[in-house]
Amino acid sequence: MLIHYDQNVQKKRDIVMLNDREKALIKYMQGDMVLTKRPFAYLANHIGTDEGEALNAIKRLKKQGVIRKVGAILRHQKAGLTENAMVVWAVPDEECERVGALFASYRDITHCYERMPPLDGKYNLYTMIHLSEKGVEKFVGKISLAAGIADFKILKSKEEFKKSSMEYY
Amino acid sequence: MDKTDRKILNIIQTEFPVEEEPFKFLGEAIGISEDEALDRVKKLKEEGIIRRIGAVFDTGKMGFASTLCAARVSEEKVEEFVGIVNSYSGVTHNYRRSHEYNIWFTFIAPSEEEIERSLDEIREKTGVDDILNMPVRRKFKIDASFDL
Repeated sequence: MLIHYDQNVQKKRDIVMLNDREKALIKYMQGDMVLTKRPFAYLANHIGTDEGEALNAIKRLKKQGVIRKVGAILRHQKAGLTENAMVVWAVPDEECERVGALFASYRDITHCYERMPPLDGKYNLYTMIHLSEKGVEKFVGKISLAAGIADFKILKSKEEFKKSSMEYY
Repeated sequence: MDKTDRKILNIIQTEFPVEEEPFKFLGEAIGISEDEALDRVKKLKEEGIIRRIGAVFDTGKMGFASTLCAARVSEEKVEEFVGIVNSYSGVTHNYRRSHEYNIWFTFIAPSEEEIERSLDEIREKTGVDDILNMPVRRKFKIDASFDL
């Protein structure tokens, strides 16, 4: 999945106005679905609509891009992905598109963003890396060569203080 | 976790079927019964491999602002700082990282102004002045799914 846009541009034109029923649906879907054979019937009942309407609303919100995905969110360490790191890269502005697109093409890179202002005055491109075996340094060395970007920092997570899902409504 | 579990996870972490009978749909995709698909997903949930099944949203499309913050906090203040930061519901992730900015957290709020206000409030409450606010300028990839 490659998402590519300028957030400032998006802010002005792409905000989707949501009605109360959609907000109720989001309130339910931001949490954990009940595991039954008809989970969307359960959801529909919960927000006072019928199953077909709920399914249509979810599909519509997906199409509008409000819902990025309906899926399982894993505890990646328990799923065997024990190595992870945030790596920050100093990428010249004119190179950012090329390097961002290249990094996005690696399966082991799950997130890639340009952020402002840059960290330490120069590290503007952020990548999250998840691996199933040791070797973050080796992987980072490989993609550094591929991208032609030699200035980077590996910021390993030393301790988890919080990991939760946003409650929008 | 066996091969069938991995197949299930590889499908549903990318796309849980938005269908009347999603487990029947899932079972058919990998050649097991609806009951087995449901039981296996329940088990993966109980074991803690699945954190939740639900939706992931585009915060921007919903009109919310989001950012990544990094703070430079002296060791004796970390516990208090983290406690206060985590008390904000818009803070969804918070980690200690190996950098002189040692505490990294994400912040979602109805507006950029509210994030700024909250950060000022955190500075005032904790005495930690040095907090960076680094919103996204360009997105190249958001895809928290893994090849298992």
